[in-house]
Amino acid sequence: MFLQNGTPDTSGYMIAGYLIAFVVMGLYLASIYVRSRNLKQDMSMLEEMEKADQPKAG
Amino acid sequence: METKPLALTILDIVSILVLVIATYLALVFAPTELVMGDVQRVFYFHIGTAWTALIGFMLAALFSVTYLITKNLRWDRLEVAAIEVSMVFFFITIVLGSIWARPAWNTWWTWDPRLTTAAVTELIYAAYFMLRQGIDDPERRARFGAVYALIGGLSAPITFFAIRFFRTIHPVVIGGGNAAAQGGFNMTADMRVAFFFGLFAFTIIFIDLFWHRVRLGELQNKVEQLKLQSSI
Amino acid sequence: MTDKLTPVAEEPIQADARSRELMASRPSSSFFKAVSAVVWKDVQAEVRSRELFSAMLVFSLLMILIFNFALELDVKTRQSVTAGVLWATFAFAGTLGLNRSMSIEKDRGCMDGLLLAPVDRSAIYFGKVISNLAFMLIVELIVLPVYSVLYNINLFIPGLLLVILLGSIGYVAVGTLLAAMSVQTRTRDILLPILLFPIIIPVLLAAVKASSGFLNGADMTEILPPLNLLIFYDIVFTAVAFMVFDSVVEE
Repeated sequence: MFLQNGTPDTSGYMIAGYLIAFVVMGLYLASIYVRSRNLKQDMSMLEEMEKADQPKAG
Repeated sequence: METKPLALTILDIVSILVLVIATYLALVFAPTELVMGDVQRVFYFHIGTAWTALIGFMLAALFSVTYLITKNLRWDRLEVAAIEVSMVFFFITIVLGSIWARPAWNTWWTWDPRLTTAAVTELIYAAYFMLRQGIDDPERRARFGAVYALIGGLSAPITFFAIRFFRTIHPVVIGGGNAAAQGGFNMTADMRVAFFFGLFAFTIIFIDLFWHRVRLGELQNKVEQLKLQSSI
Repeated sequence: MTDKLTPVAEEPIQADARSRELMASRPSSSFFKAVSAVVWKDVQAEVRSRELFSAMLVFSLLMILIFNFALELDVKTRQSVTAGVLWATFAFAGTLGLNRSMSIEKDRGCMDGLLLAPVDRSAIYFGKVISNLAFMLIVELIVLPVYSVLYNINLFIPGLLLVILLGSIGYVAVGTLLAAMSVQTRTRDILLPILLFPIIIPVLLAAVKASSGFLNGADMTEILPPLNLLIFYDIVFTAVAFMVFDSVVEE
């Protein structure tokens, strides 16, 4: 680090920081998406099961 | 609820836009800080996420009280969403804070009030989710979650002020007593633009993520109800 | 003298009479009656079995031992570190007591019995807090002389005793509420420290600061702020816990 004149080059840290911020937000979005998709699959499966049950109950 | 509301789609687009603009302002538009260099730029995202996470946390405490009074599970879903998104944002805050500290003060961690409180709050969030995980009954889960969210919401600010008043900051600073030593620096007008826009951008992004998470909660609720019905 | 197993037939009648008595009396006196009933039940049980007490005590002594090997407690560092060692010990031993105290309620079905009585749920809360506090204080009062002897420090300073009292109150006020919750989850005992510790950081912080102050003869202007924080915390959290305890024990 230069102490006399000039600003230290800390851009490496900056890039790391921004990368992490974007990656974490992206991962969270992905997590919501994946969970949502799984739940929708569960739901369609459950609805199918109900339809299958109904003729028997009727 | 199946179909995504138009407003949410618009919000998604707006969120991406503001994120791009905020990034540009932080990385290009704002001037490079003299003493620390480029790493200072993480500050814009660091404060942006911190500020919104804090508000999210307080909102969660409010939602929890409302749930306890009304017993309407809708508030529970709002509470969980607020806490989850805040948790993600605070995580970013903490990591960025650490990255900033390293080249600026030659340490990966400073025990200053803000960073420490963020860490404590993060642990409260983690405990919150562990508590909920250990309960199967949705109504009890909501009740207990709400109680803990309330207690946590009261405790964290007290922690912040306690550290502020009682902990002498360990002098870990190279550079002596200038503003940079305390974590401050004088902001130029351009920096202020990036700073305030960052706050604005993360508020929009928070609302967007929050809305998505609430919808996820509603979906979860539907599935749970279907499961209960089919097992009857 | 001791209570033998009462035949099942007698109990409903006794419970009925007791309930009627409680309902007939004025609300405030039935509240106090309920609180003291809970405290008395816990004290009696503890006097008989001494489970909680011995566990907490032995654990505390072990912790002091561990600290002896973990930290270099030479004469100089001892001064600065004693407050922290004491409070760390109390914090961990406390969870043992809280866990056990609430588990007993749940396992023996006492909680259900208490809940059936027509008293304010908060009476149960206060009863538990008082008994938990009593046990914690007793353990602390034994640890102090032991530590004093082992490390040749006089810990019987009135100020320190006051801090221990105030800190313990805050700890137990929150701890009882959280223990009531954690005991009803699947993960039970493990969960309590995870829930409790982030919340009581202000107590630890202020208690250690104030204790240190008293031990090192600091000026009252330094000791008063953390002491005030302890009082503030105690009041706020006892009040909040008292208000929400209902939500935590209802079926």
